[in-house]
Amino acid sequence: MNFLEELKKHLVSFWLPVPAVIALGVLSVYYFGITGTYWAVTGEFTRWGGHALEFAGVDISDWGYFKIMNMNGNIFTRIDGVMIIGMFGGVIAAAFWGNNVKWRMPASKIRIYQALIGGIIAGFGARLGMGCNLASLFTGIPQFTLHAWFFTFAMIAGVYLGVKVTQLPFFRSKVKLEKLSCSTPTKIDTDVDANKVKRFFTIGTFVFIGMIVWAIYLIISGHQKLGMAMLFGGAFGLIIAKAQICFTSAFRDIFTTGRSQMARAIVLGMLVSSIGIYSYIMIGVPPKIMWAGPNAIIGGALFGFGIVVAGACECGWMYRAVEGQIHFWIVGVGNVIGSTLLAFVWDDISGPLATSWPKINLLESFGNYGGLLMNYVLLALLFLVVLKLEKNYLKKLKGKTDNAK
Amino acid sequence: MQNNTKAPTPTHRLDMHGEPCPYPAIKTLEALRSLNDDDILEIISDCPQSINNIPIDVRNHGFKVLHIDTSTPSVRYFVKR
Repeated sequence: MNFLEELKKHLVSFWLPVPAVIALGVLSVYYFGITGTYWAVTGEFTRWGGHALEFAGVDISDWGYFKIMNMNGNIFTRIDGVMIIGMFGGVIAAAFWGNNVKWRMPASKIRIYQALIGGIIAGFGARLGMGCNLASLFTGIPQFTLHAWFFTFAMIAGVYLGVKVTQLPFFRSKVKLEKLSCSTPTKIDTDVDANKVKRFFTIGTFVFIGMIVWAIYLIISGHQKLGMAMLFGGAFGLIIAKAQICFTSAFRDIFTTGRSQMARAIVLGMLVSSIGIYSYIMIGVPPKIMWAGPNAIIGGALFGFGIVVAGACECGWMYRAVEGQIHFWIVGVGNVIGSTLLAFVWDDISGPLATSWPKINLLESFGNYGGLLMNYVLLALLFLVVLKLEKNYLKKLKGKTDNAK
Repeated sequence: MQNNTKAPTPTHRLDMHGEPCPYPAIKTLEALRSLNDDDILEIISDCPQSINNIPIDVRNHGFKVLHIDTSTPSVRYFVKR
């Protein structure tokens, strides 16, 4: 097999999720070192909500939350904005390369409401907690900010509640098991249209090359950080889509089917990225520290509940949306609505819930090595929690099976 | 990830088109428990993310994955007890 065919095979097939999450952890460290910010998506979505309000004629100049978020510039001039363009480039390329693009309608009206309401709750919670599964978990915890730990443990509780609700009879899938006979026609197009697959692969390649050319143009025209942000965004997008990384599934599926693979992968990714971020902080890059107050706990719980109801978080809906899954367009719209709602009420609730609470940096509270050790102790604890929850599920399952016998 | 074996002829089917996670995986496990040893279940999911849950859950719960077809946007899984 020649080189190009071998390469194509890798671009078409799915990638293994565990190494992919660890690669995301390593990449997010370099992204922080090079651009000075962490890999996050919801902050930029919130700015889009702000721009939409401005466009509709609303004066947001005195909204406290938008002052914190810094509305200067636009999606093409902000690091977060350009990174997200790169992410869309990566997920589009991955979806077309893998022949995963097709319009898919939600199975029922219930799912549409779930997507919208869950998306709004998740968007609201993420912004109250100052980040989603990225900035308040996967890339937040390695910043040594205590708020991310509050958020994460509260999120697991929220996820548990979300699972309980989405498994109520009203929400359960109505799909019936069909008994087949020889004459039952096959449901999907098993005869793959080779021309379409080829065309899609070319589209993916064009998008990918276009993004790289755009990034290089940014770099040589003097916007090095923006260009690098686009390249990193492209890599993040490509990896989450090719490996189908779903942060929502990580804790949810421990409670639904007893699978902890993704949760363990996320902890491993954070073990790797913590030491990398630590090194950058030691050479002077300032970490992102947020208020460790009730906002992180309430926001985390709401977010965890919302993502399970919706079926995806802010990162996961992106690649599913470009695959043509309408459900996740609705989740995305819900997220922007939810985060804008939070911005709307922020000035009334921020004092008691957030801004009057301290921003706690573990590296300042416990000393550099003490803080590093603290983060690793907490990560080990999180790993044990994951294993314990998985064990509880299996024990319960065994009980059920024994009773059935 | 993908099996190179030929797709077996299924005796039962779960058509999960349009259903987001975790419903396809939950339904799969429920269906498998209701089947006989010789039955072969085909699950169709148009959410490619199911590639990271259905096969693992099926094996974790002591069932067998016979074949996975990822050549179309709807992924097809063939599993048995």
